[in-house]
Amino acid sequence: MTERIASGFHPFVIPFLLGMAFVLGWCLVAGVRVIFQLSREDRLRFFKSFLNPGILLKDIRDIFLDCLLHVKLWKRNPLLGYMHSSIAFGWFMLIVLGHLEVMFFLPDRLSTPYYPIFFNYFVAEGEQTIGGKLFLFLMDFFLLVVLSGIVLAMVKRVHSRFFGMRRTTRLSFTDSIGLYSLWAIFPLRLLAEGFTAHISGGSFLTIPLNWVARAFLGNELNMLPTWWAYSIALCIFMCVLPFSRYMHIPAEMLLIPMRNAGLKVRYARKGLAKVMVYSCPGCGVCIDACPMSVKKANTRDTTVYLNRQIRRGNEKRIEEISDKCLLCGKCSTVCQIGIDAPMIRIAQRSHRKYGLDQDYSDLSLDRIPKPEPGGKVLYFAGCMTQLTPRISKSMESIFRKAGIDYRFLDKDGGLCCGRPLMTAGRIEQAKQLIAKNTELILSSGCDTLVLSCPICWKIFRERYDLGGMRVVHHSVYLEELIENGLIRPSRVVETVAYHDPCELGRGTGIYEEPRRLISNVATLVEAGKHHEGSICCGGSIGSLSLGFSQREELTRNALKNLTVASPRSIATACPLCLATFSRYSDRPVQDLAELVDRSLE
Amino acid sequence: MKQNVVIIGGGIAGLEAASQLLTLGYSPIIVEKSERLGGHVASWHKLFPDMKPASEVVAELVRKSADANIFLETEVESANLLRGSYIVNLSNGVTVRTGAVLITTGFELFDAHRKEEYGYGIYDQVMTNSDLEGWFNGNPDKRIDGQDMNRIGFVHCVGSRDVKAGNSQCSKVCCVTAVKQATELKERFTQAEIYCFYMDLRLFGKKYEDFYINAQRDYGIHFIRGRVSEVSENIDGRLIVKAEDTLSGKPVKVTMDLLVLMSGMLCGKDCRRTASAFRLETDSDGFFKSRDNITGITESGRPGVFYAGACTGTKTVPETISEARSAALAIHNYLKDA
Repeated sequence: MTERIASGFHPFVIPFLLGMAFVLGWCLVAGVRVIFQLSREDRLRFFKSFLNPGILLKDIRDIFLDCLLHVKLWKRNPLLGYMHSSIAFGWFMLIVLGHLEVMFFLPDRLSTPYYPIFFNYFVAEGEQTIGGKLFLFLMDFFLLVVLSGIVLAMVKRVHSRFFGMRRTTRLSFTDSIGLYSLWAIFPLRLLAEGFTAHISGGSFLTIPLNWVARAFLGNELNMLPTWWAYSIALCIFMCVLPFSRYMHIPAEMLLIPMRNAGLKVRYARKGLAKVMVYSCPGCGVCIDACPMSVKKANTRDTTVYLNRQIRRGNEKRIEEISDKCLLCGKCSTVCQIGIDAPMIRIAQRSHRKYGLDQDYSDLSLDRIPKPEPGGKVLYFAGCMTQLTPRISKSMESIFRKAGIDYRFLDKDGGLCCGRPLMTAGRIEQAKQLIAKNTELILSSGCDTLVLSCPICWKIFRERYDLGGMRVVHHSVYLEELIENGLIRPSRVVETVAYHDPCELGRGTGIYEEPRRLISNVATLVEAGKHHEGSICCGGSIGSLSLGFSQREELTRNALKNLTVASPRSIATACPLCLATFSRYSDRPVQDLAELVDRSLE
Repeated sequence: MKQNVVIIGGGIAGLEAASQLLTLGYSPIIVEKSERLGGHVASWHKLFPDMKPASEVVAELVRKSADANIFLETEVESANLLRGSYIVNLSNGVTVRTGAVLITTGFELFDAHRKEEYGYGIYDQVMTNSDLEGWFNGNPDKRIDGQDMNRIGFVHCVGSRDVKAGNSQCSKVCCVTAVKQATELKERFTQAEIYCFYMDLRLFGKKYEDFYINAQRDYGIHFIRGRVSEVSENIDGRLIVKAEDTLSGKPVKVTMDLLVLMSGMLCGKDCRRTASAFRLETDSDGFFKSRDNITGITESGRPGVFYAGACTGTKTVPETISEARSAALAIHNYLKDA
């Protein structure tokens, strides 16, 4: 390879250079701003994480696997995975190989930023070498890989079902420009290199293209216009990148180290939350996952649209979307980027000014009846269980049968655990209740706290400090009672489908204990979607604005999913799911505690 | 030969309509799914506002309709419209050809188990209005027999006017029924304090208001405006009822010996079968849909099919009786022209 143009410059590289300068400048400024928006403590943590070789290695591995190879997408749907990794990894390889070419053949030009991109225009193939052939072959090969991804992307726009997606996102204006310029870049590159192949050399794609063009188009005539077009397409793509969903490419590279450093969302619109919002590629996987989208009107209230509206600063829609969400967390489990959507929503809710700010800090505990001293196990039913007394009644019966010395903390009135306030974004008030409840619980002198409600359980696990007291949800506790031989249930011939409550499953990762518990007393069958895929019952306290009648359809859809294996009954471990399903279910719905208590008779 | 009229349901509407149709010269055939006539009223004790025994009302209606053909423990299997008349196949094997069909399937009581927060079927001392009438009629009930009755609560609107229970309409008669049952209980347990928890009292009928004033003035029954929020059970099996007194704006907590739930009225599940056999529409409240809710309440959208009583909506006993008469007249006019 020898240099063809002595000056090493042609005006067509200018659009590319402008675009490149713009996007790099933008990302640099944005990155620095975001890092300075972090709290001092978080920022220190973030920088320190790079000094830890374990975390650094994980950062590199995650960026490689998630941003380039899209491993998570492959697991979801191979075609979708191939489409993304072919474009991302293929393009990455084209850039890497371009640099290698320059490094090998024209080392002097390594500092010229456009050389690796427009290499073929600036060189002429003197003699053919094995190395040169290999490079040309690899360049054509990866170009073909990218082009195959682009073709799939075009098919996906029309038939998203082929890629395992029922619905996909509607593009915004800048997204469309980004998309079409991205689609244009690689065919233009193919044409440009094809028209130049008789000078620069080429391989299995570009040489035949050059022959065909020679026959009836003419290479020389088309060479420059296509290089110009290629450069302009790159420029357009890079210029719209910060304003389109393609911002996810640089943002995710910042998100991964931030997450690996263990940062948490602290502000609604700054720091980590901002990086998360910009990392959203708008793929729309969350649309199908969202339990609300059984109603088509609700698809516009899914996480992908929340991220878009936050970027636009559309306060009215941000409020609507944040309030409507059930906080079931399913979108987060399917999200390829791992955006913590419930946290982002709670952060938006906490952003809001309320007319009235309650203060629970001077709440008197004197009026709340306290259990007699001396028990070992403290049982806290919580307000939802008070409305489904069959659960607390079964729990009391099991405690008695197992000979446990227990005390019922809120038998005759108690305090809210604080989780509903937390989900409403009223974090200060929640903390006040947590402090009061902690005082109440510690005064009991028990060493174990058993909870029946996963809503309470989640906040107890995450926000309470009860010293050495063990906190356990009854699904885990009952399984232990059986394992320790304190209760001996008898099996019944009955098929039971288990519903994973959001707060217990996705919320705190308890999936297997309830299943083992059911298997001890009956035959467990799985729902259509279960474990992380479980569908919210629709009764969630997470939503602040979803009306009662709007929830009915969600509940019916969740019930349909639960009964695919025609179980005789449905079991769950959350009083709210129990009450919600009981309303519309055509077969009995029971709590794990009831199931166990009945098997002890 | 006398023309047949099939009456589906042998409650008070069916019986009254049968007696009127007999007078008008038809041959009514009553198809009743249970083993006795009289429907819900037959299991009631006394009727407001004059405390007339329900058994007298039913006995009178049964006597007047004795000449009708009556099939007990029988249901309609299928029905076909054939040249202006229905061929009705019954579950006892009988097939009837009839010019007109009168639907008097009535209502079904709301299943109080579904309002779990009130603890019916979970706590020992919770019963429904219907259970209480059974006890008035002499059925033994260990929730009352041999128990101390110091405080008794009545919960209005259980499964009525309650969207969450899937039933948004007012059941109309429960307010005055609660007043009636509260005074009856007070007569038996004079030392007991009786509380009625209501959203608002709908005392629209003849002498209902007097009945209510009497309950307060002469019987000392406490009316508390506010819904019961939750019920829990004491160590000794008594109930702790929490509610809000919205007039004083304060929460109340009362320990009760008995809680009576005023279950509302729904269109029964069996009605769906009847509805599909005759291809009848149901209204948005779940009851049968009349041709017109003002001027054509006894007529369905289908030729020769008529309604009477609580199958088209919640009704009192006198309303049901007069509707049965009106339906008999509508059938007579229809068959006369046919």
